[in-house]
Amino acid sequence: MRLRPFALAEPESVREAVEILARPDGDARIIAGGTALLPTMRLGLVTPDRLVSLHRMPALSGIHVDKGVLEIGAMTSLAALARHGALRSGWPLLAQAAGRVATPAIRSTATLGGNLCYAEAASDPAPALLCLDAQVRLADSVGERVVPIGEFFTGFYETAVAPGEILTGVRVPAGPTGARSGYLKFCPRSAEDRPLIGVAALLVLDAAKRVDEIRVALAGAAPTPMRARRAETTVKGQELTDRAIRGAADAAAGEAEPLSDLMGSADYRRDMIRVWVRRLLTALRDGRPSP
Amino acid sequence: MISIDFTLNGRLSRIDVPAHWTALDLLRDGLALNGTKYGCGEGVCGTCTVLLDGEPVRSCLVLASRLRGRAVLTVEGLHRDGEPDHLQTAFARAGAVQCGFCTPGMLLSARALLASNPSPTEHDVREALAGNLCRCTGYTKIIEAVLAASAGR
Repeated sequence: MRLRPFALAEPESVREAVEILARPDGDARIIAGGTALLPTMRLGLVTPDRLVSLHRMPALSGIHVDKGVLEIGAMTSLAALARHGALRSGWPLLAQAAGRVATPAIRSTATLGGNLCYAEAASDPAPALLCLDAQVRLADSVGERVVPIGEFFTGFYETAVAPGEILTGVRVPAGPTGARSGYLKFCPRSAEDRPLIGVAALLVLDAAKRVDEIRVALAGAAPTPMRARRAETTVKGQELTDRAIRGAADAAAGEAEPLSDLMGSADYRRDMIRVWVRRLLTALRDGRPSP
Repeated sequence: MISIDFTLNGRLSRIDVPAHWTALDLLRDGLALNGTKYGCGEGVCGTCTVLLDGEPVRSCLVLASRLRGRAVLTVEGLHRDGEPDHLQTAFARAGAVQCGFCTPGMLLSARALLASNPSPTEHDVREALAGNLCRCTGYTKIIEAVLAASAGR
């Protein structure tokens, strides 16, 4: 089945792209990798008159580390993130989550910017970025603003990207020293699916094995990817006993606002948040390398 | 129409296609290379998999314009001087083909795996083929074929 005809623009600069998006003739959409947009177009859910492809914009590609801060161009593929040496050593949580999205032939094409702008609640990279306190770069014809990832997802498939803005990159600060981290996704249907529940966590234990720092984030647990702040508060400064971990898992299940859909009911999702937060924190506490 | 210069199965090619065509439309309808199949059209089944600069992609989810300046390998490009290559031979020997509809995508995903990881474990093979659905074989023979090809059998 052919896509409905559209005009295609392939600008080489942000300025040019923004100018094309602002033209009044018909509905224009940005296309990054296209792995989310094109199926949506085939289903007739969006019917753009124009697509603005970002693949020719050099400023949006590449992975750089600058003074300990990771800068990722929006058009970087998830496969490139998953195999990048500096990411695997410095930001392993993000590399791990990017490597768990869908299948190899999707990861080679899907981009980090596209994943975030699609704003799927069950995104794999989003909880990793939430744990890493990432920031999102948004550009328009005037300039650039930087939005904390925690303020980026504003609702069900909604983001802070304003009309006429383009997500150009993601900035990830260095994590705390001595941090252990991991991402677990629960896929009840098949391994390459989006998760029913995804859990990312980053943990620093002090010399007395008490929680010095903890960040927990969830996918599929609310209309947007979310930090589980109550779960974090529950165990901050505590020793991570099994009992403390159960408390954190209960808190995460309590603060989640899951939706019911064909994959699972809200109640089932809440139960699975409890299970998978517990499993991940236990694995991290016990120093299991790849939980 | 847009004009696309790219390398197709080792040969420089140029073709004019409508801007809304996907790489799969270009291959099947523009060039009559019907080895690459149209399955689900939404990136799930994997039978339209081709290699783009050596990486597996879903040709149903890649706009034709993205092929510009890049190298595409389809199942038609796998043979060696008209003879099946070692993966194709291994598939035939292992009985990894039944209806055959998934086979082009399986071969190309396997080819990408063996290029980056010449001695994969069974787990590696399963991961690499996770996005290629087969409704006939139960996968066992396909995995055996890829492992056999990697071992030079």
